[in-house]
Amino acid sequence: MLQNIAIGQYVPGRSFLHLADPRSKLLFIVMFATLVFLANNSITYSILIAFTVFSILLSRLSLSYILKSLKPVWLLILFTVVLHIFITKGGTVYYQLGSFTVEEQGVRQAIFISIRLGLLILFSSLLTLTTSPMDLTEGLERLLGPFGRIGVPVHEIALMMSIALRFIPTLMEETDKIIKAQSARGADFTSGNLVRRAKNLIPIAIPLFVSAFRRAEELAMAMEARGYRGGVGRTRLNKLRFSWRDSLIAVAAVLLILAIGWWRT
Amino acid sequence: MQITFDQVSHLYGKGTPFERLALKNISLKIPSGAFVGIIGQTGSGKSTLIQHLNGLLSPTSGEITIGDVVITPTKRIPPAKRKDIGLVFQYPEHQLFEETVAKDVCFGPLNFELPESMAESRAREALELVGLDYEAIKDRSPFQLSGGQMRRVAIAGVLAMQPKVLVLDEPTAGLDPAGRKAILEGIHRIHREQNLTTLLVTHSMEEAARYADLMLVLAGGEVVMQGRPEEVFQQADRLRDLSLDVPQTVSFISRINQLLPDTARLPATLYREEELIAHVLKRLSVPKEC
Ligand SMILES: Nc1ncnc2c1ncn2[C@@H]1O[C@H](COP(=O)(O)OP(=O)(O)O)[C@@H](O)[C@H]1O
Ligand SMILES: [Mg+2]
Repeated sequence: MLQNIAIGQYVPGRSFLHLADPRSKLLFIVMFATLVFLANNSITYSILIAFTVFSILLSRLSLSYILKSLKPVWLLILFTVVLHIFITKGGTVYYQLGSFTVEEQGVRQAIFISIRLGLLILFSSLLTLTTSPMDLTEGLERLLGPFGRIGVPVHEIALMMSIALRFIPTLMEETDKIIKAQSARGADFTSGNLVRRAKNLIPIAIPLFVSAFRRAEELAMAMEARGYRGGVGRTRLNKLRFSWRDSLIAVAAVLLILAIGWWRT
Repeated sequence: MQITFDQVSHLYGKGTPFERLALKNISLKIPSGAFVGIIGQTGSGKSTLIQHLNGLLSPTSGEITIGDVVITPTKRIPPAKRKDIGLVFQYPEHQLFEETVAKDVCFGPLNFELPESMAESRAREALELVGLDYEAIKDRSPFQLSGGQMRRVAIAGVLAMQPKVLVLDEPTAGLDPAGRKAILEGIHRIHREQNLTTLLVTHSMEEAARYADLMLVLAGGEVVMQGRPEEVFQQADRLRDLSLDVPQTVSFISRINQLLPDTARLPATLYREEELIAHVLKRLSVPKEC
C-alpha cells in the first residue's frame, strides 16, 4: 500500500541521467526552478514542458511511474487553479453568473501556475528517482563545502540528510508491517470519527517510535564501533567525477537560459 | 478448518519498476487439524503466502478457500471471519504497544467486540498457554520483558482471539536454542489441545521435521514439493539443489544405511529424534531404563 508513493524513491539504472554527476544535476535543478519562475508566456512554458519531457525520456523510466509523483500534490494544484479562476480578474469575460465571473487572466494564471508546480515536482522527482541517496548527499556536501569555512556544519547536515533518506524506505516497510500485524489483531484504521481514528493510530505510532529509537541507537553504536569521528580527514571510496555528460548538461543549461531570456516578455 | 489454494498468484508493486511476481500459480490443500511446516529460503514467498490467509493481501489471480469462506481477487474475507485466522508475524514483539502486558493481550479480543471481562479471562488463558504466569506478568510493561518473554506475550495476543487456524511466521527467529524449543513445544501443545490447524513457517528443517505432519517446500514463489515429511526428506538431492538441508536424523539414517546390509536397514520414516533413538535402542536390545 505504501509502495505506491514515488517521491523520494531511487530506481537504479544506467541511463544518461543516472550516470550524470549529482552536483551538476543539483545545480541544474536550481537553475531550472529559477527559469520556471521567469517563464511568463506560452512559448517559454512550451520550451520548459518540452525540455521536461525530453529529460523524462532520457531517464528511461516509465512515464506513468514518474507521473505518479504528482499524486500527493494533485490537490494543491487543483486548489490553486480554483483560487485563481475565482480571484484573478482582467481581460475578456468568459463566463458570467450574477456577480461571479471567470475572466481571461484568471484562466491564464490558473494554467500557468499549475504548469509551474507540475514541472517543479516532476523535475525534482526525476532527480531523486535517478540519484541514489548516497550520491545525492555527497553532491550536496561538496556543493555546500565552501560554507563550511564560515562555520556551517556541512558534513553533519549532509550526514543527517543521508541517514534520513536511507531510513525512509525502512520506516515505510516497518509501518506497513506494523499496520498488517495490528490489522491481524482486528485493529481498524478506516472507520469511526476523527477522534476515534486518531486513537486508532496509537497501536501503530508507538511500535514505530520504539523501533526508530532502537535503530538509532544501533546505528550510533555501529558508527562508533567503526571509528566514526565526524567529517574531518575522512576520505571516500568512490570519488565524484565530472564527465562528458556533465559538459552536455552545462551546454543544455546555457541554451535553456538563452531561450527563456530571448522569448520571455 | 480446511484450507485450499487454487492457482493463486501474487504480484507486488504492479505497474512500478519494482514489480515482482512473488507467488506463481500456487495450488495446495491443507486438511483440517494438520500441522504444516512451510519451508523455503529467504525470498521464496513464504510470508507472502501466509498473508493471503486473513485478507492482508489479496491474490492477483486464483482462489483461496478457508473453511466455508472463499477469497478471490475481488472478494475479501468478511471482517468477522478474520479472527478465526491468527497470524503471528515475524518478530511479533515489535507490535507490542500497550502500557501493560494484560492490556496488550486484550487488544485483539476487544477489537472483535468481546466484553471486557471475557477479554480478560481470554488474556489469562492465552498467557498461561504460552507458559507465562498471568498474575506475575499482567501489570508489567511489555517493554521491560526479556526478548523471549516479549515474543510469548505477542503470541498470546494472537491466541487470545481463539483462532481456529494458527499461522506463525518464523516464530523462533533470533532466539537462543532453549527459547526456540520452549516456544515450539508450546505451540505444538496448543495445536493439540485446541485442535487447531497450524501453519509454521520456518527455514529450519530440524524444526519442521520435529513437529510437522505435512510439509510444503517453496522456492522462487512456487510450491516445489508437498507431502508427508518422510516423502519430502527422501528427495534429499532435490532439497540440496534448493539449498535446503535434510534434518540430521535423515542424513544419519541414509549414511548408516549405506553401511548396513539390505535386510538390516533403518526405515526412512524415523526422522523424529525420539523414534529413531527408540528404534536403535530396540535393535541393540538395550533395556529402556538405560
Ligand atoms: N511489500 C513488498 N513489496 C514488494 N516486494 C515484496 C514485498 N514483500 C516481499 N516482496 C518480495 O517478494 C518475494 C517474496 O518475499 P517473502 O514472501 O517475504 O519471502 P520469505 O518470507 O520466504 O522470505 C521477495 O522477492 C521479496 O523481495
Ligand atoms: Mg518472511
